[in-house]
Amino acid sequence: VECVFFNEEYMTCMWGNTEVLTVNYSLYYWYENRSPMVECKHYLQDQGINVGCHFSKNESIQFQPFRVLLNASLDDGTLEFPSKRLELQDLVKPEAPVNLTIRNMSNNQLQLTWASPYPKAKCLEHSVKYKSNKDTDWTELPVHGNVFSLPSVDYEKYYTFYVRSKINKFCGSTLLWSEWSVPMVWGSNSTENGTVEEQLHWFWIHTVVIPIASSLILLVFVVLLVRMERVWVILMPRIPNPSKNFDELFITHNGNFQEWAGVPKDVMESFKPNYSENICYVSELPPKDSNEPLWESSNHSPPAMPGPPPAAPSEQYNPYKNSY
Amino acid sequence: MERMIVFCMLLFCSSAVLTASPYDTVKYKQILKTIEHLNSTVKDKGAELVHTPENPVDGCRSMAVACFQKGVLKLQPENSQVNSTFTRTVKILRKFTFREPGKQCESSCESYEKKTPREFLKSFAKLMKEFAKCTQINLLEEPVEIVVVQMKCD
Repeated sequence: VECVFFNEEYMTCMWGNTEVLTVNYSLYYWYENRSPMVECKHYLQDQGINVGCHFSKNESIQFQPFRVLLNASLDDGTLEFPSKRLELQDLVKPEAPVNLTIRNMSNNQLQLTWASPYPKAKCLEHSVKYKSNKDTDWTELPVHGNVFSLPSVDYEKYYTFYVRSKINKFCGSTLLWSEWSVPMVWGSNSTENGTVEEQLHWFWIHTVVIPIASSLILLVFVVLLVRMERVWVILMPRIPNPSKNFDELFITHNGNFQEWAGVPKDVMESFKPNYSENICYVSELPPKDSNEPLWESSNHSPPAMPGPPPAAPSEQYNPYKNSY
Repeated sequence: MERMIVFCMLLFCSSAVLTASPYDTVKYKQILKTIEHLNSTVKDKGAELVHTPENPVDGCRSMAVACFQKGVLKLQPENSQVNSTFTRTVKILRKFTFREPGKQCESSCESYEKKTPREFLKSFAKLMKEFAKCTQINLLEEPVEIVVVQMKCD
């Protein structure tokens, strides 16, 4: 049995009919320690079979444990469904918000306000969902209070808003949201069409005109370059290749730098030595007289000795020469 | 000298009072949230059962509130870590009173069935929701004394 307390005005408890055969359902209800067991006074029927029960406002009391008992009488007996214990304040489904109004605020802000047919505003929480014509998904945001602000809006877009309500956790614990309100739109339809045409226009420009124009310009540029070598040379200068200059050196003259450079033969000859030097072997002899100094071998004459006159040096030289 | 001491004491006391007050102002909304918070931190298994008022009749609601506020003192935190916040939240729940003038109540706290701490808190929350919904109380105000002549929920 599923019960819903609609806007705290009336309640319906539905059980449906899963049996193919004709079954006679009867519902009994009572409030624990408050009222005696009573049968449903107003049944809801589907093809002559009771499928639900309607409770008026006086029959629905909140914050009192509510018990329901469903009886199904078949041909061969009566089936009793276990009784359910319910709290009506947790089954409230408020009515959808009404009187949605949109106001244009400064700074491109939109303010959405609404009213609720449910009497106790402090017990409600709301949820707003909106989408522009350019969005793919809905954006759903929770709201406390009756005002929702959209911080920045695009004047070229077309927005749609929906609002719904639920009893908040300060007055009950329920998951039952109301139905979505009637939609509220903002932004005009005509701008939407205009935008589409504009979009097509831009599309043609971007995909056809621009590529063709740019390729034409490129073509002209290429032709100019080919025809005017002056421009070509400035844009694409020849990079000098020095390797050709060295072909002569490495191939013709076989790496002989002097030959390739053109150095004259006399200069080349002058660097070659044209004399021969004999090796002079030298050895040291021990002195015969201890006073006689020893001299190093050389082609030079020994230094002049003081004392004996120059007339007699040849005599003096001889002994030295002999000893050497 | 004595005057100085007296003055200093007064100054100290007033500053203590001022610093204490932020915790004291608690909106009605917060009381409900507090009960939910307690529900998650209270020791339930193996804890002492508490007298739980259920669906008090007209006239017995004020007594039910008093019973709830008394019973809250018997609750224990789940572990020692939540001890300080637990004590503070319990204090918050005892700060307000509920009055139904002109009505008498026959039953007492002990006449109600004893239940587990979680069920106790669930019933307490239910009663507070009933006050929130069915009275003129402003959820954004600090409740000190709630005086109700008639519960309008029908």
